[in-house]
Amino acid sequence: MSDTEKILSIKDLTVHYLPPEEPACKAVNGVSFDIRKGETLGLVGETGAGKTTIALSILRLVQSPPGKILSGSIEFNGENLLEASEAHMRKIRGSEISMIFQDPMTALNPIDSVGDQIAEVVHLHSKCSRAEARIKVEEMLELVGIDKSRYKDYPHQFSGGMKQRVIIAMALACSPELLIADEPTTALDVTIQAQVLDMMNDLKKKLGSSVLLITHDLGIVAEMCDKVVVMYAGQVVEMGDKRSIFKHTSHPYTKGLFGSLPGAFPDSDRLKPIKGLMPDPAALPAGCKFADRCEFCTEQCRAREIGLTEVSEGHYVRCVLAEGGNHH
Amino acid sequence: MTPLLEVERLEKFFDVSAGTLHAVDGVSFKINQGETLGVVGESGCGKSTLGRVVLHLLESTGGTIKFKGEDITHVNRTKLSELRRKMQIIFQDPFASLNPRMTIFQTLAEPLVIADICKGAELEEKVYKMMDTVGLARRLVNTYPHELDGGRRQRIGIGRALILEPEFIVCDEPVSALDVSIQAQVINLLLDIQRDMKLTYIFVTHDLSVAKFISTNIMVMYLGQVVEFASAKELFDHPVHPYSKALLSAIPNLDIDQESRRIPIQGEVTSPINPKRRCRFATRCRYAKETCMDSEPVLKEYSPGHFVSCLYAEELDQDKKRV
Amino acid sequence: MKQKETVVYTTKKRSMMQESMHRLVKNKTAMAGLIVLLIVITLCALAGFICPEGYDKQDIMNKFISPCAEYPLGTDNLGRSMLARVLYGGRYSLFIGLAATIVAAGIGIIMGSVAAFYGGLVDNLIMRFLDAFNAIPDLLLAIAISSVMGGGVLNAILAIGISSVPAYARTARGPILAVKEQEFVEAARALDARDRRIIFRHILPNVLSPIIVHVSTGISGGIITAAALSFLGLGVQAPTPEWGALLSASRQYIREYPYLVTVPGVCIAMVVLAMNLFGDGLRDALDPKLKY
Repeated sequence: MSDTEKILSIKDLTVHYLPPEEPACKAVNGVSFDIRKGETLGLVGETGAGKTTIALSILRLVQSPPGKILSGSIEFNGENLLEASEAHMRKIRGSEISMIFQDPMTALNPIDSVGDQIAEVVHLHSKCSRAEARIKVEEMLELVGIDKSRYKDYPHQFSGGMKQRVIIAMALACSPELLIADEPTTALDVTIQAQVLDMMNDLKKKLGSSVLLITHDLGIVAEMCDKVVVMYAGQVVEMGDKRSIFKHTSHPYTKGLFGSLPGAFPDSDRLKPIKGLMPDPAALPAGCKFADRCEFCTEQCRAREIGLTEVSEGHYVRCVLAEGGNHH
Repeated sequence: MTPLLEVERLEKFFDVSAGTLHAVDGVSFKINQGETLGVVGESGCGKSTLGRVVLHLLESTGGTIKFKGEDITHVNRTKLSELRRKMQIIFQDPFASLNPRMTIFQTLAEPLVIADICKGAELEEKVYKMMDTVGLARRLVNTYPHELDGGRRQRIGIGRALILEPEFIVCDEPVSALDVSIQAQVINLLLDIQRDMKLTYIFVTHDLSVAKFISTNIMVMYLGQVVEFASAKELFDHPVHPYSKALLSAIPNLDIDQESRRIPIQGEVTSPINPKRRCRFATRCRYAKETCMDSEPVLKEYSPGHFVSCLYAEELDQDKKRV
Repeated sequence: MKQKETVVYTTKKRSMMQESMHRLVKNKTAMAGLIVLLIVITLCALAGFICPEGYDKQDIMNKFISPCAEYPLGTDNLGRSMLARVLYGGRYSLFIGLAATIVAAGIGIIMGSVAAFYGGLVDNLIMRFLDAFNAIPDLLLAIAISSVMGGGVLNAILAIGISSVPAYARTARGPILAVKEQEFVEAARALDARDRRIIFRHILPNVLSPIIVHVSTGISGGIITAAALSFLGLGVQAPTPEWGALLSASRQYIREYPYLVTVPGVCIAMVVLAMNLFGDGLRDALDPKLKY
């Protein structure tokens, strides 16, 4: 690894939602991870794990109130974004960090042609003329596999998969250093998903951007990511490079996720789901948040907060069992 | 043995302003009792419509449906009531499929009340028993759907379908809206009750790994037509139709050591409105020849129990074997 | 800790209606509106007790008296007590608003429901008919109807009621169309539920909120229209002291005796504002989407 420059470094991020007259919803609790240049990091977890809140925090788009970033820092190229001015954030959003949302149907303005929408982003962030912007946009459209003759077409003239391509073109128009993709293919059919994922992989190689890929699909992680962060109840429960997560799965929750997949154990005639439900983020248990659903749970697990243990180089696990060193 | 359900050249056309939408176009299949038929395909392929036509939630515009050997394509109101006790449906969306103004008890009791099967203490007992069966704690009996998570709501939907003790259930993407760990719980539940109650399923899904896991046979649909039908194992080990192959190769692969061998598929699904008489997949198929553009393939038995609708099935399969 | 998790499911034993009421009670502006309304209604109901002499006792010697101890709101051009006229007038105004709304909602909701549930030709016929109605502004329509039918309380109610039928039909039709397509209605159909059960058990309970809200704000609209009609000399006729009629009668003295128009004017504004605040609160309380 020659190029190990950290592009994004999140330290001890805590974000809670504080609706009036209701208990606080503890969405993100002390999350730390780094993304290096050119790397794709998969942020994995189920609904309510805090994935999207982390993404919104990076762009400082957490709605406040009720959302509140209580502690931590998010360093982007050495600068703490949580202390940056709003004007500076506006410059960063879209040009240095951009985001792709889950639903391609609602992310485009229906009354503006797709070309003009992308051109607006280009124009806002680089001081180029309209004509230059147009050339740039046509390049981007070709890059995501849309004929440039469709510049003047409106969003309703595109199918779901094509819209998601337009959104990706828009997100990549200013060659951002970091691309945040929040479930970019969940709303798409599987063959279209394959097209979009392949295209994202190609573009990443071409443009050298780092990607924070939020997903619940471990198959997508396997195909796209270099590193994996597994989230549960607002905490990182396991992280490491893809190989250690897939081949030396250590946390009972991560194991449970794999066991829940129909494709993971082809010979079994029953799945091995995780019992129970994710705890209510407004009433998190003390100690290990996964204890109630864990088949290895001991008294120790509930007695104290569990820290992350490095079980092998760069592979961290938040589990009492890992602390003892017998993580396999 | 008579199949539990036998569907022949079933058609469901909708009149829309732009012409005739061929949602289901000449679909034939058989399901034996206790089996699961997985119906897979992408959005708009007609798989959900198919399930609804079989249940008479939509009326077919052509073809025949036989249930236990009896023709039920056209039935009167009395017969329909009788059928509905035997054929049920589980929906995809655990939010929209439950009446927000009814408690779990009311929702689960409604089928019994409508069918006038029992009331009072007996009704209560049946509802509680069903809650046990689908894994809902009895203390939740008076809660409303909005107080529950997706997994529990889906269990209510399953309980509602099961309480009349049907023989046949259409599962319309029953786990697509659920989180992975909850999805696995619900799949196991569906497998358990199938075994215990000797149920027969049509399992409509876009998730091929779920289909493979739960199905006896799988039917791949494209634009209202069946392109391939085979046992789950056969289809995954030995897909023949170019569309099935592409579909299977598009599933993200969990094995990180295996290089993904994706078969690219060009473009997007064409319109199901006034389709031309030709292979509907031809415009996206990389093996398409001129003949594909002007003659329509039919579903033929390619090998025992394995049906394929492709003019060049043999040829393509031979090519693959040579490589 | 284990207990804390289950708390979420066991404490909520209130029915949905009770929960809505709970939210409504906690809404301060809605409660303020409700209190004002209750005070006005009580005062109007007790009019005979507060002003035993009635609303049309004339005292020519004491006309145009400014508010004082004997006449708290002064007297009008015929020496009648404004307090009595406003209180008795309130009875008419509130009654006309309420009755007109009942007429409009009754006809409108039935037409809208039938149109939405059966769809197709029925829907087209009903809605096009109502569209024709809707092409004429409500007030203009009310004026036209009441000038054909003549004055009087009953005719005013009919005129106002009929003119707002299309709005109620639309209020009922939209949500029913949306709910009709929901999967739980399809599920009921798959369970062999008959039309009647589907309408009353599955559709109507889920469209009641917007209808209730429309009704609650509709009453204030009715009061305004009633006032406007009598102000124009249609609708309720003198000496009936409906608020709009009071305004109309007092307007020629607006320069010399401003309290004569102020009193009924403030009454109308206050009641309408209070009703709208309450209606808004009701909408917020009934909207189950707020629960998430």
